[in-house]
Amino acid sequence: MKSRIEIGVLYSRSGSYGLVANACHAGTMHAISDINADPTRGIELVAIERDPGGNIDRYAPLCEEILRQSKARHVVGAVTSWSRKEVIPVLEKAGAALWYACPYEGFEANEHVVYMHACPNQHLVPLLAHVVPRFGADGFLLGSNYIWGWETNRVARDLIADAGGKALGERYLPIGETDVSRLIDEIRVTKPSFVLNNLIGTSSYAFFAAYSELARTDPHFGSERCPILSCNLTEAELPAIGEAGRGHLSVGPYFRDGSSATSDTPASSFEASAYASVMVLAKVLSANPGAGFAELSTAFAGASFATPFGNIAVDPRTQHATLPVEIGRISGLGFERVSHIERVAPDPYLSRYDRTKTFGRQRLKVVS
Amino acid sequence: MSRVSHIPNLGGARAFVLHRPHATVSAIARQLAAIGLQVVDCWPELPAEALAADFVFFDVDLGFDQQFPWPRGAAPMPTIALIGSEAPGRIEWALSHKADAQLLKPVGNAGVYSALLIARQSFAARRRLADEVAALQSRVAERQTIVRAVTALSGQGFDDERAYAQLRSLAMNWQVSLEEAARRVVAMTEKEGGVDQSHRA
Repeated sequence: MKSRIEIGVLYSRSGSYGLVANACHAGTMHAISDINADPTRGIELVAIERDPGGNIDRYAPLCEEILRQSKARHVVGAVTSWSRKEVIPVLEKAGAALWYACPYEGFEANEHVVYMHACPNQHLVPLLAHVVPRFGADGFLLGSNYIWGWETNRVARDLIADAGGKALGERYLPIGETDVSRLIDEIRVTKPSFVLNNLIGTSSYAFFAAYSELARTDPHFGSERCPILSCNLTEAELPAIGEAGRGHLSVGPYFRDGSSATSDTPASSFEASAYASVMVLAKVLSANPGAGFAELSTAFAGASFATPFGNIAVDPRTQHATLPVEIGRISGLGFERVSHIERVAPDPYLSRYDRTKTFGRQRLKVVS
Repeated sequence: MSRVSHIPNLGGARAFVLHRPHATVSAIARQLAAIGLQVVDCWPELPAEALAADFVFFDVDLGFDQQFPWPRGAAPMPTIALIGSEAPGRIEWALSHKADAQLLKPVGNAGVYSALLIARQSFAARRRLADEVAALQSRVAERQTIVRAVTALSGQGFDDERAYAQLRSLAMNWQVSLEEAARRVVAMTEKEGGVDQSHRA
């Protein structure tokens, strides 16, 4: 007889970043059904779902509702950092844990959160280390107007300066805004070596479309000369971008390898990360069905978890996953692999960042 | 102008936490370890190794001057006060130790990272200011030397104004500060009874 354990699922399946949330939701549900179908597992997971509908003010009350109305002590959910930060006080009050399956800007290690997607040393740092020697160090920085864009671009400014380049501009749009004409005008004038795109959802899709129009009139902006770089773009959103995405770059712990894929292969890193979250949680709960947030760090110590990212560890000190780092180039509805690092330990505070290792020694400038 | 990286590189830094064994210490230690610092907790005294620490967290509720291997308010690194009771006497004591940042107890899941960055920056600013004040003070203390140098030079037939201009031009030629040039002039006067103009470059 399997013991039934309720877990919360908190994703906004509608709204401007619905594609990402749906990918996470699919991964979560897929993993739950795999666990439940596995006779060797002693547990059955029951999803307690709530959908904030993309409304930031609904996250905290709905998370509270899950924790109050069910026995769930673990919630898989939240896409934006803003929503993650909204639910943290609720988790702290109720003694619950959030399994967070999206890349984020780092500088957080809350014991009520397990960070299962990339932090900056697993996305932005390796991406710029790859791009700067090939395209140049001068970047134009874009973001949606909330913490992901602000903080990722702040780190990017420092990295660009360390690489000897300049941030030629930094612009933000409200979440959901699709008028990107001003950004395009500024990028046309400043002619950067790359554009770092921290826009999310519909703003990001509108930007890709407008940028590909720009490339048609000015060859400088072709993806082979001045690529758009993203740290959170996956297959989940490529249908909304279409041909405008071709040749541009993204980084993540996983891109779907079409050549060896089966119907069980996750379609994107969001799906893979949500799937991995439930798998890691299930292993912890199988060993100790009553495990709450306070038991997590002990459960992670020395443990290895089978996930779509391979066998991974979760750092007990920061509760961030060790992940592969892959850079992919958009090709149709998928990514071609540009580079791959098997495993990168998380460094959410960039405490081990080394500018020389990342960008090599800078050439000496002539001082007149 | 050289540029300093803004990515706060705290990896491997050492923090001492001066607090009796308590949940507060484990909460702070957990956050420090997650950020990448090495943590040493101690009570009731800071050991001598603490002099080489990068940060010191100290308890305000039960703290006293003799715990520190430095005079009150003269910590050679950024310090963070751990305040539980907000009794005015305790806050006054924390202020006398010139804490660079503070954390309110009980310490939860956050707060240590901002305390580290704030403490580091305000300590650096305080030290810069102290260095500047010390430099200015030493220059003020040299006023008498300048007067003596000008007097010595005017003894060679210059009026005061020209003697001062002469001192400035010596300082420029020797590529030293006015005060340093004055010291040399005074030393030469004392040794040789006059300024050897061949020292002019």
